[in-house]
Amino acid sequence: MDRRPLLSRAPRGFSVLGLVLFVAAIAALAAFPSFVKKPYVLHMGVVLFLAIIQGQAWNVIGGYAGQYSVGHAAFFGIGAYVTMMLLELNKTAPWVGIWAAIAAAVLLSLVIGSITFRLRGPYFVLASISVTEIIRLAALHFKDFTRGAEGFLVTEIPTLKIGATEIEFFTKRPFYFAALGLAVVTIIANWAVQHSKLGYYFQAIREDQDAAHSLGINPAFYKNVALAISAAFTAAAGGFYAMFVKFIDPNTVFGLDVSVQFVLICIIGGIGTILGPVIGAMVLVPLSEILRNPKGLVQLGIVSSDSGFVRFIEANLSNAHMLVYGILVVVVILFAPEGVLGVIRRLATRLRRRTPSRGRTEPAATA
Amino acid sequence: MAILDIEHVSKFFGGLAANSDVSFSMEQGMIMGLIGPNGAGKTTLFNCITGYYPPSKGEVTFKGTRLNGLQPDQVCRLGMVRTWQKVRPLAKLSVVDNVMVGALARTSSLRVARELAMEQLKVVRLDHKPDFLAGGLPIGERKKLEVARALATKPELLLLDEVMGGLNPAESEEIIQLILELKKRGLTQMVIEHDMKAIMRISDRIVVLNSGEKLAEGGPREIADNPDVIAAYLGERVE
Repeated sequence: MDRRPLLSRAPRGFSVLGLVLFVAAIAALAAFPSFVKKPYVLHMGVVLFLAIIQGQAWNVIGGYAGQYSVGHAAFFGIGAYVTMMLLELNKTAPWVGIWAAIAAAVLLSLVIGSITFRLRGPYFVLASISVTEIIRLAALHFKDFTRGAEGFLVTEIPTLKIGATEIEFFTKRPFYFAALGLAVVTIIANWAVQHSKLGYYFQAIREDQDAAHSLGINPAFYKNVALAISAAFTAAAGGFYAMFVKFIDPNTVFGLDVSVQFVLICIIGGIGTILGPVIGAMVLVPLSEILRNPKGLVQLGIVSSDSGFVRFIEANLSNAHMLVYGILVVVVILFAPEGVLGVIRRLATRLRRRTPSRGRTEPAATA
Repeated sequence: MAILDIEHVSKFFGGLAANSDVSFSMEQGMIMGLIGPNGAGKTTLFNCITGYYPPSKGEVTFKGTRLNGLQPDQVCRLGMVRTWQKVRPLAKLSVVDNVMVGALARTSSLRVARELAMEQLKVVRLDHKPDFLAGGLPIGERKKLEVARALATKPELLLLDEVMGGLNPAESEEIIQLILELKKRGLTQMVIEHDMKAIMRISDRIVVLNSGEKLAEGGPREIADNPDVIAAYLGERVE
C-alpha cells in the first residue's frame, strides 16, 4: 500500500488560484440578484449564506481547536435575542444592536468556556449541550424579561442610510447582500485564523492537548479564545437570523436542533477546512429545504406541480428531515469521515497519481 | 549555580509513593542520565519537574525560579521542555508544522517560526520531508520529530524520555550522536534510557531510581560498579 500521505493539511500561504476563485465567486453572487428576481430564490440564497456563516463559526472551535461543541445555539440565541430585544424594546437599529449581541455572546462564551473546558472529549460535548439547554429553559421561564414561548416579532426595521442612499429592509434583496457580506467576512476571518499563530495553536490542541501544553501552549486560554471567536460570528448569524425571519422564540433559536445544525454543516462538508462548511451548507440547505418544502421545486420551475416526486416527499418525508439528517451523518461517518471535501480531494489526488508524473507526488496544497 | 535543583521531591498517588524524597541537581551543560527498573518513577519525576503533576512534597528550582504550581506551558517558556516516551506527533499536521508549533513559543511570526523549524529539522536530519503528515512517519522519524519540536522552543534544559526506545541500533546511534552534538552546543539534558551502553556513553552523571527513591548518584563508572545498583537493576555481570 502507498504510505505516502494523500494530503497535507498544512496551510501553505497564499494560493493565487484560490484567491481568484474566491473573488470570482463573490462577484458572481453579488451580480446574481440583478438577473434572478424571484424572492424565493433570494430567500434560499440568504438561508445558504447563513448556513455558511454558521459552519465557519463552528469550524473555529470544532474544526481547528477540536472541541465539538453541541451548544452553539446558546450563542446563536443570545445574538438573536439581544439584537431583537434592543430593536423592539429600545428602537436600536439592528446594525448597532448586533455589536451588543456579539459582545454579549463573547462574554457568555467565557463563562461557558470556563465551565465546560474543564472536561475533555465526550464529557465536553455533554456539558455544552446541558449549558445550552439551561439557557433555553431559562429563556422560556423568565417570561417578564424574555416573553417566554410567546417570543418576539419584528415590528419594523428602520431605514439604513449610507451617505445619500437609503436602504429599506422590505424585500429579500438587502438581506441577500447583507448575508453575502457577512459570509465573506466570516470566511476571511476563518482564513486569517487558520494562517496565524492562533490557527497553529488551536490545531495543536486538537491533535494532542498534553503535547501542546508541553510546547508552551496554555490549552485553557486558547480554547477560550477559539470559543470567543466562534461565539462572535455565531451571534452575528443569530442577530441576522432574527431580523431575517422576523420572529424568534426560545425553541427556534436556543433549541438542540439548532446546535446540531452547526455541527452537521461541518461534518458533512469537511471539518477543519475553509471550503468544508461552504460545501456542507450547499448540501444541507437544499436537502432540508426539499424535505420541508418540496413545493419550492415547483416554484423554481425545476419540476411540474403534479410531480410524483413532490407528492412522494410530501406524503412520506415532510416531517422526517431530522431522520434524513441522521442517516446522512451515518453515511458520511462511514464512507467519508473527512466529509464531502475529503472525498473530492482524495479523488483529485488519485487522478493526479494515475497521470504519469515526475516520479514524486507533491503534497496537495490546501485552499 | 545549578540550572536545576530537585529537593526532596515526593509524589503520592493515594498510598503509592511514585517518587519519594528525591534530590539531585544539574549543572549547566551536563547530561544527566536517569535510569531504573520499570515503575521506578522516572517518568513521574519528569511530570513533576515539568508541571504536569504538582509534587506532593519538595521543591523544584529551575534557573533560580521555583516551579511549584507552574503549568507545563509556563515551564516551557522558562526554557525547560520534555519529550514523551510514547511519542505524541500532531498527526494531522505536517512535519514542519509540528515543529513550528514549538517555535511559536518564541515568536508570533509564522515566517520566522518556519525558518526556526527548518533549522531544527536540519539538526535532527528530518529536513528532507517537511511536508509529510506527522502521523505517517515511521517510529524512528517520529522520535526525531519529537526532539526537533522540543528544540524549536529554544530550551536551556531538554528532558528526553526514552527517546531511543523501540529504535534499531543504527537509529539509536543516530540519536546518540544527536544528543552529543546538542551537548557540544551547550544544551543541558536529562535523559531517561534503558539502553545501558548508550546511557553510560552519553551521561556525565547518572541518577538511579528504584521504587520511587534515589538509589545512587554518580559518574557512569561509579554507577556501573555500585553493588546496590547491580542488585536492583543492572544484574550481575556474566563473564
